[in-house]
Amino acid sequence: MPYQVENRPPDLRERMYFPEIIRGIGTITRHFVRNFFFARDKNPDILERRRGEFGVSDNVTLAYPEERAAYAPAYRGLHRLVPREDGKPRCVACYMCATACPAQCIYIEAGEYPDDPIEKYPVKFVIDEMRCIVCGFCVEACPKDAIRMDSGEHSPPSYERAAQIWDEKRLLRGPPISYQYDPWLRRGSPSIPADKLEEMRARARPFHTVATDEYSQTPGFSVRALAAEAKERAARSK
Amino acid sequence: MSRLIGMLILIAVVLVGLVGLSAVFYLAAGGLAFVFASLGLPPSFGAAIANVVTLMLVVMMISASLLTVAERKWSALMQNRIGANRIKVFGTSLGGIPFLLADALKMLTKERIEPAQSTRLLYELAPALAFAPVFALFAIVPIGPALPLHDIIGSASLGATKIALQVAQPDVGLIYLFAIASLSVYGTSLAGWASNNKLALLGGVRASSQMISYEVSLGLALVGSMIAFRSLKLEEMVLAQGTPVIGPIPALGILLQPVGFLVFFASAFAESKRAPFDLPEGESEIVGYFVEYSGMKFGLMFLAEFIEIVILSGIVTAVFLGGWHPLVVNTEWLRQTVSPLWFGAICAASFLVKMILMMWLQLTIRWLLPRFRFDQIQKLCWKIMLPAAIANVFITGAALLIDPSMKLLAWIGAGTLVAIAAITAAAGRAPAPAVEEHGHAHAAAGH
Repeated sequence: MPYQVENRPPDLRERMYFPEIIRGIGTITRHFVRNFFFARDKNPDILERRRGEFGVSDNVTLAYPEERAAYAPAYRGLHRLVPREDGKPRCVACYMCATACPAQCIYIEAGEYPDDPIEKYPVKFVIDEMRCIVCGFCVEACPKDAIRMDSGEHSPPSYERAAQIWDEKRLLRGPPISYQYDPWLRRGSPSIPADKLEEMRARARPFHTVATDEYSQTPGFSVRALAAEAKERAARSK
Repeated sequence: MSRLIGMLILIAVVLVGLVGLSAVFYLAAGGLAFVFASLGLPPSFGAAIANVVTLMLVVMMISASLLTVAERKWSALMQNRIGANRIKVFGTSLGGIPFLLADALKMLTKERIEPAQSTRLLYELAPALAFAPVFALFAIVPIGPALPLHDIIGSASLGATKIALQVAQPDVGLIYLFAIASLSVYGTSLAGWASNNKLALLGGVRASSQMISYEVSLGLALVGSMIAFRSLKLEEMVLAQGTPVIGPIPALGILLQPVGFLVFFASAFAESKRAPFDLPEGESEIVGYFVEYSGMKFGLMFLAEFIEIVILSGIVTAVFLGGWHPLVVNTEWLRQTVSPLWFGAICAASFLVKMILMMWLQLTIRWLLPRFRFDQIQKLCWKIMLPAAIANVFITGAALLIDPSMKLLAWIGAGTLVAIAAITAAAGRAPAPAVEEHGHAHAAAGH
């Protein structure tokens, strides 16, 4: 918490130096004794920890690999290719993310399902995580919500550079997502079996919620709530 | 709460362990003295050899190397951190102690780098010159009281010989301390010179000027104690501190010589070249006089600093804190209550406990204060420490001249301690002078 420090010359007592050192030793000793004798509160939310009272230590750190602080919901983690319920990627190989990428770290090769005359899919979808600058433009550019950075992970360290190049097999993971406006759900697709199609339609969500999702915004700010308010206002004014 | 109980148990175990260790030391010294006597050699030689092994190699070296771990762990506790805990033995970090082995292994297996065109002989000699004098200093620290040999071993034929937990008892006493301590400046300045590196040279020059300056006040600070206890020998100073002076309060050095204590402590701190006096090794400007040293050659200089902490704790304990007198109980009562061996062991253990407390105090100050500027260091030495030490010598001499029983000196010292405590406890800063409206406007505008 910032506070203003008055800049003025030391008074006589402070110029004697020893009394202030002894006081400082007292302060440090208080911390030492508390931290030495009392166990620490392990709450990863450090501001919520019990500190400064009898019986708990003053500790403010985490034993990192074992205890981790939670990331903000908007944290841009490792990419993932969002799968559909049938296990295929939502990606339609439109090259929008590769075009938007300022680091040019996305490589896509498009292919077609042999039985489906309309839909494309990525035969190859490769991201060089070493080159990625984690700007999130690919997520913003995607019209199909097919690439997300919601995994909450760092890209794992490796001994070879080759291991940092993630292909579509490694990228395709995480919970599947379907939307009611998905073309393959509305008109059906020969590549999706009929019973699977019914399940996908049943689980489809009405809205596309990524970047303007309330989870990824400041607490209290909700695009959907604001939109509902505006709609209500418009209805009332009529 | 389980940690509180564990820590209390740990402290109790450490105390009991120190008593047991001291008893083992006495038995080792007595045993070797007995062996020497039966071989027809002077028994005091045998005791000295046993003391070199037990006190200098076990107590001093182990506490110095444990201090390297303690510096991390204790500083973490002071700064609300956890501290070194990554090396785990069976799932516990053991307070960071395994880092000792890791550090030693790292030092020993590091690549040896030698600068081109260095003065080879001096370059190789400097770490030893920095380490050896510091190492030798511990010889005069009296850890335990002198006990008759037959009380330790139980053979009546050797009655006259006394065994003390002290390697050497030279008559020059503290003069030995000053003489050997001033030798260690050669190691640092030669290291700086022989490395053929301008930063190392700067560090060496800083080290030599700082150490030579502070030797003056270091010596003068102890002159008051020499006058008060009428001896140069540390063991006699410790004995003198057992006599009561004001009522039951014993004539502790810190009571008779509070100013001497402060000046000596600060000067010896400066001699050990550690923060806040770590000008010779500023990491951000000049790396230090050891910038060209790697591996164990650096390790020796590094270890020498920690040994100096142990030495300083030992000297301060012996001269100012009552030495091996266990201040919580009366020494004479203890001598008559328990057997001589356990009396010696408890006394030596109380010396070690005081030493540990002093080491802790030094690490606390090291983590408390930012470093001085070089002119501030010299000003502190020549303008504050030296006059204070000289005034202390004169006041001590005058007080002893008026009242040879040390009562007057003790009252002066008690008054000084009370004054220091009062100034320390006085409320922080004086209230700010009233600021007129104009000043407020400026403050609000961010001036």
